Amino acid sequence: MHLTDAEQAVLDGESGEGAQKAMELVVALGKVYGAEGLVDITSAHLSGASYKTIGDGGLKYLSDLAAGGAKVSVPSTLNPIGMDRERWAEMHIGSDFAEKQNEIVRLYGAMGVKTTCSCTPYTGANVPKTGDHIAWAESSALSFANAMIGARTNREGGPGALAAAIVGKTANYGLHLDANRRPTVVIEADIGDSLFEHSLLGQAVGMRIGGGIPYFRGIRPGLEEGKTMAAAMAAAGAVAMWHVEGVTPEAAGCDLEGLETIHIGKAELEDAFERINTADDVQLIALGCPHLTEREMHEIASLLKGRKKRGDAEIWFCTSAAVRERCAEDVRVLEEFGPVLADTCMVVAPIEGSFSRTGTNSCKAGNYLPTLCSQKVMCRDIAELLKVVS
Amino acid sequence: MMLEGRSISKGRAEGTVLKLEDALSFLGGVDASTGELRVQREGNVAGKVLVFPRGKGSTVGSFVMYDLMVHGCAPAAVVNSSAETIVATGAVISSIPMVDSVDVGLILDGDRAVVDGSEGTVELPDVKVVESSSSAVVIGGKVLMLHRPDGARSYPGRWSLVAGKREEGETPLETAVREIREETGLAVGEPDASEGPLYVREGDIIWKVSMFLFRLPDGAEPRLNRENTEYRLCAPDELGSMELVPKTLESVGRMLRL
Repeated sequence: MHLTDAEQAVLDGESGEGAQKAMELVVALGKVYGAEGLVDITSAHLSGASYKTIGDGGLKYLSDLAAGGAKVSVPSTLNPIGMDRERWAEMHIGSDFAEKQNEIVRLYGAMGVKTTCSCTPYTGANVPKTGDHIAWAESSALSFANAMIGARTNREGGPGALAAAIVGKTANYGLHLDANRRPTVVIEADIGDSLFEHSLLGQAVGMRIGGGIPYFRGIRPGLEEGKTMAAAMAAAGAVAMWHVEGVTPEAAGCDLEGLETIHIGKAELEDAFERINTADDVQLIALGCPHLTEREMHEIASLLKGRKKRGDAEIWFCTSAAVRERCAEDVRVLEEFGPVLADTCMVVAPIEGSFSRTGTNSCKAGNYLPTLCSQKVMCRDIAELLKVVS
Repeated sequence: MMLEGRSISKGRAEGTVLKLEDALSFLGGVDASTGELRVQREGNVAGKVLVFPRGKGSTVGSFVMYDLMVHGCAPAAVVNSSAETIVATGAVISSIPMVDSVDVGLILDGDRAVVDGSEGTVELPDVKVVESSSSAVVIGGKVLMLHRPDGARSYPGRWSLVAGKREEGETPLETAVREIREETGLAVGEPDASEGPLYVREGDIIWKVSMFLFRLPDGAEPRLNRENTEYRLCAPDELGSMELVPKTLESVGRMLRL
């Protein structure tokens, strides 16, 4: 692997121990992937924020790193944490967990990370530009950034993305390079306009192709559709980059000659639906995977307005603190039914202590709730889920 | 014996090898506060040179390695065939020396090993390298196989190619030609194919084996000395059923196709 003199100096410890350790990690990961060198990044987005997922080992690592004076050198944001920073008691979370979780957030903050704690940084807190090289963890966010924005990132892991944020560089391989961003398969999508069908489309494509770079025809995703597709494809498969004809910035130059074409329609969506659904009734409905946008907050509020909460099932609305603040009117409507939670979601929160059957409109959550939270899952569109509680 | 690999995490450490045959997930596979293994076999990774093919499983495994370090139960060093991101990350953040791109088949449980993560080497001080040559003598399309006596020092009772140790001053080819002459009475010239060297572990020895293939016309008749008890001419597809020295069967297969 080739390092510049400046990079070698950091590796030799000339910029301090924190930067040296971070550079060691960036270089080691570069070797694992066969990178020939490093590339400067303009931003980072970090996973590994929930105490539930990183545990005491992760907490200790962050605390040692922060104590050593490590600081990020590019704008960096943080993924959702295990609870709403103020309203954790409403999530049935104990004070032990809350204390450790708040300590993790404090440590990231001390290292200069913006602790917005959202999986949709591209809606405001951290918006890359087309062509930017970035080091993002959080599979749904990085896939959105690659495909919908045309920024360039691999699937970074938590510690690797943090190390990249500290040195301002990441290994130059994979999706940072033009040759690896070309489509590998054409998807002819024959689906309706609803958000839920876009989530099922992502699930069906992830199940069908596993990895690779799909090139879609027949859809015109906006922010919300792109968000939910990206999330589902990255959870059902390992898709981190995709194109949509006439929509995404790199689609126009794509060479499709010789690529296999796969048709995804009603039957494939039904298979995806069957795969995800394992429950017919639920104790918790959690919306906002990935975090609810302003438009989704308005739509949910308009569906609930004038109705009354009914039934025993709880409902949580998960979003970013910024969106919660901007949608005060909608929040008032939603709060009649359940808490509007910021900074967290049902996948990274320790819900398994309180619930065993959860409803979601997200195929991403549908993939992770059984494995990370021991839940049976009811996956439906938002309107249908809302009928359970209104 | 010095095994040349690739540096993944710097530092140097010495210890006894704890060997795992399968890929390892640190999350669920190792108790973070004691170092006890929970999968594959009994054992404790603390202070050991932990040798396994590769990592797998949850990315939280990196933090389990850090937790082991905090509890004083981390392995002294890690050696993999091929590093992946979880274990590489865990080793670097926990300052555990790590080397990959090493043939872990050459390292045995209980070996004393010195791992240099900065240089990318694994030294096995108690294991010595012995150079040898091993030849497939092909007579009329069939491979000459010799049967070693039960009392042989190396691979007793097994069927083998014509093989022997290199003597002082010999090239590997000279060793091959001499061994064929001594053990079979046959004269061979230039090899029709060659490969290697292969490295094969047997007890405290790593054999460094240079492979050759010589074709002889039909009717050439071997005359055995006392080193072997009988011979057989085998069709290439029969070799698979014989318990050959590891790796040699594949090598002969490749050379026969040349």
